[in-house]
Amino acid sequence: MKKRLYLELENCIGCRSCLAACTQCGGHEERNRNYVYDVNPLVNRQTMPLMCLHCVNPACARSCPAQAIQIHETGAVLSALVEKCIGCQNCTIACPYGIPKFDTEQNLMYKCDLCIDRSKDGIPPMCASVCPTNTLQWLTDEEIEAKQKQFNLDNGKWVTSMPYLEGETNVRVNLPGILQGVTKLF
Amino acid sequence: MQMDNFRNERDQYFKEIDNLNHPNETLVKTHCSYCAMQCGMNLRVKTKTNKIIGVEPRYDWPVTLGKMCPKGVTAYQQVNNKDRLLKPLIRDDQSLKGTTNGFREASWDEAYDLIVKKFTELQENYGKDSLSVYSGVSMTNEKCYLTGKFARVGLQTRYIDYNGRFCMASAAGGLNRSLGIDRGSTIPWTDIQDTDCIFLAGSNTAECHPTMMFRVWAIQERGGYVIVADPRETPVARRADLHLDLRPGTDLALANGIVNLLIQKGHIDEEFIKNHSNGFEDTKELVKQFTPEYTSAITGVAPEKIIRAAEIYGKAPNAIVMFARGIEQQIKGVDNVSGYTNMALVTGKIGRAKSGVATITGQGNGQGGREHGQKADALPGYRKIANPDHVKYISKVWGIEPEEMPKEGVSAFEMFGLMEQKTIRALYLLCSNPAVSAPDQNYVREQLKNLDFMVCVDFFLSESAEFADVVLPTTTWAEDEGTTTNVEGRIIKINQAQMPLGESKPDWQIQVELTERMGRGKYFSHLKTSEDIFNELRVASKGGTADYYGVTWEKIDKQDGVFWPCKDENDPGTPRLFLDKKFNHPDGRAKIFALPYRPSAEEPDEEYPLRLTTGRVVYHYLSGNQTRRIQFLRDMCPEPFVEVHPETAAKYNIDHEELVRLYTRRGETTYQVKITEAIRKDTVFVPYHWGHEKSINLLTIGALDPYSRMPEFKTCAAQIEKLKIKKVQ
Ligand code: SF4
Ligand code: SF4
Ligand code: SF4
Repeated sequence: MKKRLYLELENCIGCRSCLAACTQCGGHEERNRNYVYDVNPLVNRQTMPLMCLHCVNPACARSCPAQAIQIHETGAVLSALVEKCIGCQNCTIACPYGIPKFDTEQNLMYKCDLCIDRSKDGIPPMCASVCPTNTLQWLTDEEIEAKQKQFNLDNGKWVTSMPYLEGETNVRVNLPGILQGVTKLF
Repeated sequence: MQMDNFRNERDQYFKEIDNLNHPNETLVKTHCSYCAMQCGMNLRVKTKTNKIIGVEPRYDWPVTLGKMCPKGVTAYQQVNNKDRLLKPLIRDDQSLKGTTNGFREASWDEAYDLIVKKFTELQENYGKDSLSVYSGVSMTNEKCYLTGKFARVGLQTRYIDYNGRFCMASAAGGLNRSLGIDRGSTIPWTDIQDTDCIFLAGSNTAECHPTMMFRVWAIQERGGYVIVADPRETPVARRADLHLDLRPGTDLALANGIVNLLIQKGHIDEEFIKNHSNGFEDTKELVKQFTPEYTSAITGVAPEKIIRAAEIYGKAPNAIVMFARGIEQQIKGVDNVSGYTNMALVTGKIGRAKSGVATITGQGNGQGGREHGQKADALPGYRKIANPDHVKYISKVWGIEPEEMPKEGVSAFEMFGLMEQKTIRALYLLCSNPAVSAPDQNYVREQLKNLDFMVCVDFFLSESAEFADVVLPTTTWAEDEGTTTNVEGRIIKINQAQMPLGESKPDWQIQVELTERMGRGKYFSHLKTSEDIFNELRVASKGGTADYYGVTWEKIDKQDGVFWPCKDENDPGTPRLFLDKKFNHPDGRAKIFALPYRPSAEEPDEEYPLRLTTGRVVYHYLSGNQTRRIQFLRDMCPEPFVEVHPETAAKYNIDHEELVRLYTRRGETTYQVKITEAIRKDTVFVPYHWGHEKSINLLTIGALDPYSRMPEFKTCAAQIEKLKIKKVQ
């Protein structure tokens, strides 16, 4: 049963456990690959994870002159292959969300690979395993659909890839505002 | 109940998920070393070298399902940390106390000999009670239990107390008084998501107990309500349906105001009040005064918000009241606990699933560690030294005469007073770091210096160890096994994943070896393993309020933990308290308390117009002795800061990231300013995880709650001064 990374941005508390966990993935050389962003730090404590969305037609891979960014059969857009990456940093500019990071010492791009050694066997990536708030979840399409129904979300307004993002993505994003459609119990 | 197949509930979130097993690695199931959420985790151990190298989520732990905060994810990095103490240290030159200088490595024998010589000399010259033990509850039940026995039977001193006085003492006092029992939660955590309203008072839940947040948010996703009372708009308050932004130190007025409205608007449960409680009429009379306007004048919360909070809580079919250090670390902490508990009692929202009262315990074993006799007035099983029958029972278990049982001692902070008077001349400190965590640090550090002799047991050279003559290296949590009792009152098992590093030894082993050298071995030598100690604890707790007699390590494993009380082999434990509406007072009734409001020990004035409140950040644990050494956590939050509202900052003409002098009547320090609208204008906030000159506890006040002896960390009067120098960018 295929599972996807699903983000419910409203839930984030900014603990950055996702980043700590990212360093723990076997293939990640103890470097974290995503971002958590303080939305308006002088005003309130709202935060949001900024994760690679694993685009269906990824700009990062398209921009790479050396074909260093491979797409796994699960749809995960992998980190640059060490032997192929020429360190041109095209991908960091091409990605609409600024995801790929660059290691100047190794002259190498590195990015989220959805913990491919886990996710290829259906084991949730580290970030979605630990996220204490369910901002990051690892769900089947049926479960994501159920979420859509639960929150009374019409025409993909809240559970979305399109039209709010640049292109179709494997990761599903639920923008802040999720609770607006919830009817109170009393 | 049929025991054979009993297992504690798994809820809708539980999924069977495989773990990733790397070749040549073993996964060891255990729990986090830090807070009382005690998140399940697997430690990754290199099979050949027996070295802990990482963490893997523990999806099958029903409370946290693999979730961890960043402290938990990186907790394993304590074990083989470069700062670990690997050998005993001795410092001969007492003039170097309070610094890291002058320590030399020594053998265990030399260290033990010196301790025995000093302790014996002091006791011969100044009496048995010239020694003291200051302990903590970030360690297993086995260790907490043994430490009480170590002090009273091994060292034969009355002076033992522990850092729970800065943590859970007010909750314990309030819950005992209101409900007759101090089990932090009346319900399991797997009930939270299914309640209709959660009222969180003085809990920065998202930062201090992050892994319960998915349950809190789920309440809202079902259409239920989250209400938060906090001077700051914390991450949980940000998304709450209602944020009651009260002045620090005014919780009791808010609680009284809400209880008044619950009564006035008819949300009370008359049947429950009549049959299962005492004290309603007096309370009704007292809270009358707390109209929304009067309550608003004291708390600073708008009257409409108070009315709305009472309406939501009152109408909710099921509701949970939860609180934490925010309401407890005040000179009226015990009253605050009883005050908020009154909300559940007048409405009868207690003693059933999805409704109840809970304190969100701080330290990993803050629950178990306070039940088994580390507290100045307590003996195992929540027994009391003041009760001759209790003394008789425990004396028998310990093999001493009741007359030999030392009398009650004094609370942790009061021990510093006795050090000042030279009543206490030596200190055996373990599992705690009062040179950061105690209030009024200038005073506390002076008293530590003033000691004739001090032993500190730790796995890192903490700020407190800097005052010691002898430092003994102990193990981290992952190098020993035993049990803890989590935030719910569920007894769980910590497993050993690695052999002790260097020459470090578990605390219990150190205590057994020391007592043997002090000629008290006959009371301790039979304790060869942690499980031996647990089995003695079971007997010692038998028949007490916190009865562990029916708990075995095997049962813990089989049932996913055991909730106390658990009285015998056939008892699966008690996940929910008071289902029969029988409370633990002798008449079986709960007590609704009439609690007159009183101000804080130090209210703001012209000279010190701001309220200083202290607390935590998600990246650090307690005094920071453990978490400040971990790269990821240090990178995320390297330094303390002072949070100031932009309007307040404008008044002082200070900017974001500017350095300012913050001072109170007791001390001063400099911090970088963090401007945020998410705090009251009359309040400033500083997290407390740092030592030396950065410690906010240089400024806090040592005023104590009269019942719990808990210091008032949560409010005192302060002032800010703009400095001439700006921060060099
Ligand atoms: S772990 Fe979850 S809650 Fe924490 S910062 Fe990441 S996304 Fe946000
Ligand atoms: S989000 Fe950016 S890095 Fe990730 S696949 Fe899309 S283009 Fe590539
Ligand atoms: S510190 Fe507390 S919340 Fe964080 S992982 Fe450890 S037990 Fe869980």
